[in-house]
This record gives sequence, structure tokens and C-alpha cells, in this order.
Amino acid sequence: MIKNVAPIVLLFLVGNLYGQQKGSVLIKNGTVITVTQGIKENTDVYIKDGLIRKIGGGLSAPKDTKVIDATGLYVTPGIIDAHSHIALDAINEATSPVTSEVWTGDAVNPLDISIYRALAGGVTISHAMHGSANAIGGQCETIKHRYGTVDPDELKMAGAPRTIKFALGENPTRVHGSGNKILPRTRMGVEQVFRRSFSEAREYQQAWDTYNAKKDQKGFKGMPPKYDLRLKTLADVLAGDIIIHCHSYRSDEIYMLMNVCRDFGIKRLVFQHVNEGFKVAPELAEFGAMASVFSDWWAYKFEVYYSTAYNAAILTENGVVTSINSDSGELIRHLYHEAAKTQKYGGLSDDQAMAMITINPARQLGIEDRVGSLETGKEGDVAIFKNHPLSIYAIPMYTLVDGVVRFDRENDADDMRIYVDPEEKIEVTLAVSDSDTDRCMQDTEFLFKE
Amino acid sequence: MVKPKQSLYWCFMGMLWLLTLPAMGQTREVDLSPVSGTYAIQNVNIIQAPGRKIDLGTIVIKDGLILSVGKSVPIPADAQIVKADSMYVYPGFIDGLSHTGVPKPKNDPIDRSKIKDPGNPPDELAGIQPQREVRALLDPKEKSVDALRSVGFTTVHTVPYGGMLPGQGAIILLTGKTGDEMIYRDNVSLFSQLKGAQRIYPNTVIGVMAKYRDLYRKASYSKEYQARYSGNTPGMVRPGQNRVEEAFYPVIDKQQPVTFLAEKVLDIQRVLTLQRDLDFSLVLAEVKQGWDLTDKIKASGAKVFLSLDMPKIEEDKKDSTDTMNPEKEALEKRKLEMKRKYYQQPATLKNSGTRFGFSTLGTKNSDLKTNLHKLLEYGMSEDDVLAALTTHPAELLGVSQALGTLDPGKIANLVITDTAYFAEKSNVKYVFVDGKFYSYEKKKERRPRVEKTVAGTWSYSTETSNGTVTGKIVIQGDPGNYSGMVSNNFNGQTVNATGISVNGEQMTITYTLTIDANMLNIEITATLDGDAFEGTMAVSNFGSFPIEGQKDPGSKN
Repeated sequence: MIKNVAPIVLLFLVGNLYGQQKGSVLIKNGTVITVTQGIKENTDVYIKDGLIRKIGGGLSAPKDTKVIDATGLYVTPGIIDAHSHIALDAINEATSPVTSEVWTGDAVNPLDISIYRALAGGVTISHAMHGSANAIGGQCETIKHRYGTVDPDELKMAGAPRTIKFALGENPTRVHGSGNKILPRTRMGVEQVFRRSFSEAREYQQAWDTYNAKKDQKGFKGMPPKYDLRLKTLADVLAGDIIIHCHSYRSDEIYMLMNVCRDFGIKRLVFQHVNEGFKVAPELAEFGAMASVFSDWWAYKFEVYYSTAYNAAILTENGVVTSINSDSGELIRHLYHEAAKTQKYGGLSDDQAMAMITINPARQLGIEDRVGSLETGKEGDVAIFKNHPLSIYAIPMYTLVDGVVRFDRENDADDMRIYVDPEEKIEVTLAVSDSDTDRCMQDTEFLFKE
Repeated sequence: MVKPKQSLYWCFMGMLWLLTLPAMGQTREVDLSPVSGTYAIQNVNIIQAPGRKIDLGTIVIKDGLILSVGKSVPIPADAQIVKADSMYVYPGFIDGLSHTGVPKPKNDPIDRSKIKDPGNPPDELAGIQPQREVRALLDPKEKSVDALRSVGFTTVHTVPYGGMLPGQGAIILLTGKTGDEMIYRDNVSLFSQLKGAQRIYPNTVIGVMAKYRDLYRKASYSKEYQARYSGNTPGMVRPGQNRVEEAFYPVIDKQQPVTFLAEKVLDIQRVLTLQRDLDFSLVLAEVKQGWDLTDKIKASGAKVFLSLDMPKIEEDKKDSTDTMNPEKEALEKRKLEMKRKYYQQPATLKNSGTRFGFSTLGTKNSDLKTNLHKLLEYGMSEDDVLAALTTHPAELLGVSQALGTLDPGKIANLVITDTAYFAEKSNVKYVFVDGKFYSYEKKKERRPRVEKTVAGTWSYSTETSNGTVTGKIVIQGDPGNYSGMVSNNFNGQTVNATGISVNGEQMTITYTLTIDANMLNIEITATLDGDAFEGTMAVSNFGSFPIEGQKDPGSKN
């Protein structure tokens, strides 16, 4: 018996070793919703070694290639969530109003069952964000849902641009102003935090540039500027190497941050939530800022009362690249329904609605040349649905990441956890709900106790 | 009746003793040195090192060193004979990481009035004290010293308690009258943990990792400038001194490794990420979940100490499967498979070609031998286990010239057991550390157990999702009829316990807190260990949190 176990264990380990595993698969005879190149009936998609090689009729593949019969099914790009906090062990370093040096990539948890749940909703990529406790929060990580590994690095989407979380309004003023009696206590204070931080970062970078230019000169005696990872990161934002994703609700503040960015020459800006985005849609479009919104979720605090379910449609029609996000381990499982709501409220076309959860979030994360649509040469991230994904009857059947089947409704075991707690007890009455709806403010609760 | 002649003798001796009194001055209470520092252990089974055994031979110890080992070696005239006929002697065990000899600091809540800006707290409150030396904290009378020695350990890599950078570790011998005397080698490691500070920066793992990078790189730049400054002073701005940064200098030079506490599979990989970013020599210690990471660990070149703290396992728990529902059965099966991984971990690493030692940091002394024995059922041989207790840690800590085997010239660190150590009912009888003799005669037959009362005042501390909560539990009454009150620093309430029961080592305390008009039912389930307990606190709807407590000294027993 033992002898038979060894090869299986070994296979498993090899799988782990090469976890950034690339698969080959031939998806036959589906209705292919490419998002960018229209809908193709009775069409095959051939993925080899993780990349889409061909889309067309009557494709063939080498004999040992896995074949998925998609007759009567809908084949779409893997869904992308531009705002999520799944697969993270820490979300908010809420102790300081500026924490640009921290990075959620350090806290990626590949064992989180939420990843599998997201796969079961057709989601292949999520933006694992820092929370919104700080005016300038931490850097975020774009992850591919390669569930089945214990290695956090294997989840990271290598080559995806760096991103950072900013936050406006009540959260930072509550945490730092009310909680700790320091700046920012008001919305004006939040702007001041941005301007001061960017100015310091600019001076920091100038000091280093001067030092680096002189240090190799003969007889140079200068001291290097004090290294500072916080300012270094902000200098990278000023240099355009990091995309800002800013938690926001009110239009006046949204407009304020665009002005701040203009003053400091920052161009890559995505607003998150943006509930009052519809009031400044032309301004957002003019700046080139993008928006990642909820379909119909608001009124959970004072600054989020003035909202409309037409937000996404209004932004879209004004030329703002708009996506629908989850910010939740539960909503992430049915983003296709969330996208469909833009048809009920605003009458967007199928392509426009699908773009909300595929190519548009990809643009916001700077990965649109690799994923977000079904095109030859793109990565093999695919969701396959029974019934149209924008229909209320849609059921995700398969989810593929890099051509590897990570979710298969027909082979969906009860317990998909990778590690279990060996001492776990079944606590019926004391069970903790892990489908918390809003993890944006996780790790900050202590600040609000009396 | 004392005979006259004898009484005269005693009288004389008494006067002699009186005469010597002034000379002894203040040191009357000092332990008397043994008559001779030379010992002979005869007719014992000597395991000199894994795989090297002498049946019924002799070891002679002199001046703290092993003088000779062999089948028949001459015994010096001044040698004390250790009664160890047919017993077993092994090299003293070596512990790769623990706080042995360091008194546990009181878990006082920090004085928050000192913190003006939680984002920029004083280093020592943030857990950043890399310059601290464990030597200054050592207390040879600390109970952990004798406790660990009594189970066969003689050498320990010990480190301070603290936050992300608690200080520098030292290799100590479990003997000596002062901290200095215990030191075998000082400042051997920069001890680090992925442990955040309470409600101040860095609070979370992302904060700790960012701060670690920031400090390390600051230190690299300042070190570089310091070096230039000392070589070419005129015209150069004087660099400021900074103890925190200077503590990193030997690490940057790779003269000192970073010893990182890295228990779980993600902790280990986070530490490896830091190592990859900063490029330091790494020791991974107290590793509990490394079985899936053998290649990653190997590639990093890190040295490894595996934890001996493992979940309790019962392989053939055959209970009434007919009453168990299939879902529960599947869960129990998965849990058992997971438990096996912990016990298989040493063999997994061994088979991958990684040499490792063990660390005892998180293990109860009473579990050490049981767990070591269990490893034999999961792919380790006796020699493998012994190597991980002796020769391998000696190599990993760089002390194998002097420690780890029973060879002439090495430091006399020995453990003597009444039967083979790996036999089921073996007992440690004697331990030599640095040539000093310690006897652990088997304890008398236990009297029938009298239920010990838990009455008294207990201080507890629990790690909740809202940070550390501390408080007191005051228990009154007698076994079977306890009552009491529980306080907490979360909302300052003190409430009556609704139930306190003790069953053997298990104590259960229930009470109800009212927070924001919500009734929270709280149940503390803890295992008693003398005047301390450890367990979980379940709070309705909010999950379970680890809790530990100890009885306040002097409170009623």
C-alpha cells in the first residue's frame, strides 16, 4: 500500500513545484463571447501551454489534449474583479495615515477557500487590495486564481503593474482623526496628506538623483539621503510606475484628487466605489481616470447615500472605462449577475455589460493586453456557462486559469480546502461567518472601541 | 547517647567550623563544590554519536571535559563513581530555539500615553530592539533551565522575548551561577519574528515585513557610509550613531545569521521572501508546516530547526462509526491526515536531503519525549532522531568541535537514562552539563491525586481580533463548588461567572458580557498546568481565540 502512495505524493509535489502551471485544452463547439471581437457561434477555442492559440470552427488538437464539449454552453473570458480582499491574511496597516511601504503581496494566502469560491463564479483574476483605513494605504497585488498551491508567489500575476490603494472621506478621517486625534481629521486634511506626501516624495527623489549623479565622482564625500521605503514608493507613484486605486464616494473629493494628481503629473488613476461618479463623469473621462463601481450597493454609511444603480451606465456612456467589482467574498461569486444589472438600469448592451467584468477591469489593472477578452495570443483564462452569463439562469460550469481547469462543476468535492486545522472542532453555534461583506476596514476595529 | 570520645571529636570539629566562619564571610549559602570535578561512569552503554555505540564501557570526565571514553579506560584515583550500571549515556541534547533561562516578561499593557503618534511609536514599544543581548536577561535560576535539563537538554540557542526584533540570541549551557557563566557563545543570531506591535506601527504582517525591509536597507546605507567615513574623515559629515541599525551590520556582512521564528507554511514563505529581497544568512526555527516546502527551503540555503510541538494524534481511534455522520467522518479523516503530516515532517525533510535540528520553543516539556518517540512511527530511525538532537544541531550552530558527541576533548555534556532513551519507559537519571553533575532520581510513587484547587486570582491574556485583551479571574470556593468573577480591559466590565468547572486538567469558565447592548456568551476552555492554563476563549458569533493565564503569585491556593 505504502509503495503505491509515494508516486501520488510525488505527482502532487511536482504539481506544486510548477504551480504556475500552464495547461492545454480544446473547448469544442461553444458560443464564444469574445467581448472585444463579437460573439462566435459553434466555435472552438484551442489553448496550448496556457495561451489561446486559435479561435475558430473545427479545430483539432494533439491526441492527449483535454477536450471540453461546450455544445450549448457559453464560453467567456475569465471574470476579473478589480476590487477584492480575498486570499489576504492582512488588509489594513491602520496605524498610520500613510503606509505606502506596505504591500498586500506579503500577505497573500493561497490556502483561502474564498479563491475556490470565486472560481466557482467564473472569476480568474482579482485585485487583492489594501483596505481603506489610510489616506495613502498599501500597495496591492493582482492575483490569478491558481488554487491548489501552497505557494503565495504562484498566485501573483507576474508582470502585472504595481498598484496602490488611496482612500478619501470617512474611513481615513474616522480612523486617524477621530480614532487617534491626528491628521486627517477632515476631508481637507485628507487632501493635505496627499499633497504633503507627494511633495516629500518629490524632494526625496531629487535628493537621491543628486546623490546618485555625484557619488561616483572622484573625491566625493557626501552622505546618501536617509533611505525611506515609504517615500521611495510614493516617488514610484510620481514616476508613473504605480497605478492609484482610490476608495471614494463623494464627487467633490473625486474632483479634488484629480486636481492633486494633475498638480503632481500623475496620470494613472482609478476610482473605486465612486458612488457619486455619475456627477463628475465628463470630468473623469477628460482626465482619463477610470471607475470601478458596485452595481447597486449603497447607504451603508452617511457619505454613500447619494447613489444610483444607473452609475455604471452613466459613466460608461460618458466614456469612462468602468468595471463592476465585488469588494466581497460573497459578491465575487456572481459578478455576472452584478454586470447584468447594468442592462436593467441603463440598458447597456451585452458587450458593454460583459466588458464591466472582463476587459474593463483588465484595463484598470493594466493587464488588458494579456487577459480580459478571448483573443488569439491572450492567456487561457476562461469561464464556461450554462445559459447566457447575463441571464438570471446562468450557471458557471468550468473555470480555467492559464488553460488549467481550476473549477469543474461536475467534479466539485465537498471539502476543497488545501490545509485543514488538525485541531478544528465543529462548532455549530459559534461558527464564524467568513463571507464578511466588507473587509475594507478589517484590522481597524480596535480603533473604534470606547 | 554520644560516647565521650566522640563528643570530644565533635566539640573540636565544631570549634574548627567556628574558626572558619569569618573566612567564609558572606558566602555561607553558596553551594558547596563537589569534592572532586572528576567523574567516572562505569559499565554503561555509551552512544557516542548516532551509530557509534560501546556496550558497557566507561567515560571519565575531568575539568568539564570528556577525558576518555572506551571499553576499559583507567579511572583516576580522585574520580567520583556515578552509579549508572547498565544504563545508557548519550551526548547532551541541543535545542535550536527557545527562551530557556529568560524570565517571561509581564504582559503589562503598554502605556499608551507615551505614544503620541501610533504610526511612529518609540522603537522599544514597537518591538524593535535588535541591539538587545540575551546575556543581560539570563537568569540561571529561571525554572525553564532545570525543566529542560531534566529531560536531557544541555545546550540551548536561547533568545529574548519580544516583538519583530527582540534581540540577539546566544548559545548557552544549562549550568552556571550567573548569566555570564551560562554563555557558551554570545550574539550568535539576530532573532526575528513576523510579529506585529499592539495597535501601533507595525501592527500587521504587511507592516512588519515593510518595516523589516526599511530598517535593513537603512542599515545597509549607513554601514556603507560609516565604512567610508572611518577611512576618509576630513570633510565628511559625521554620521550619527544608531544602535538599531548597527545591530544589522554583522548580518549584512553575513557574519551573523538571522534566526526567524517561522511556524506555519505561509510564515516560512514570507520569511523566505524577506531573505530573497535582502539576502541574509537564514535560520528557520520552530518550523511546524514545512513538508510542502522542501525544495524552496533547500534552494534558500536556510538552516532548519523543526518544532517538536505537534498536534495530539490517535491513529487507531476506532469508535462507533455507525453513529458518525459521513460529513463528520470525512472531516475526522482529513484532520488525521493533516496530523500525520506534522509527524512525517522530519522524515520528509530528511528524505529531501536537508539536515535539521529540533527547537523546543513551543513545546511543553512533558510532551518532548513522547513526541520524539512518536517520530519513530513516521519514518525516522533512532539514529535520525538522535542526530537531530545532537550532531546536526551542533553543526548547524557551528559548535561541533566542542559539542554534540561523546568524544575525548569535548565539553562534558551527557544525559544518562536508566534504559535506552527510545525505550517506552525510559527515565533521565543524570545529566552532566559542562562537567557539572545533576541527578534526577525517579520521583516517588505518586500519591492518589488530590484535586488541586483553582481558587485564587488568575491573570489572563487573550489574542482576539480586536487585539490583546487582558483581565483577572477571581475564583472562590472549593472543588466542585466554585464561584467567581471575570474582568476585562476591553470594556472594563467585571462580571460574575455563570459557571466554573474543573475536570482533571480541564477547566471551563462561562460568563456573559454586554457590549453595545449585545449579550456575548463567553466560554473559556483551558488546560491547567500547575499555576498556569492555556486554551481557547469562544465568544458567541465572533469565533474562538487563544487564551493563557497564570495564577498571581501569593494568591490563595
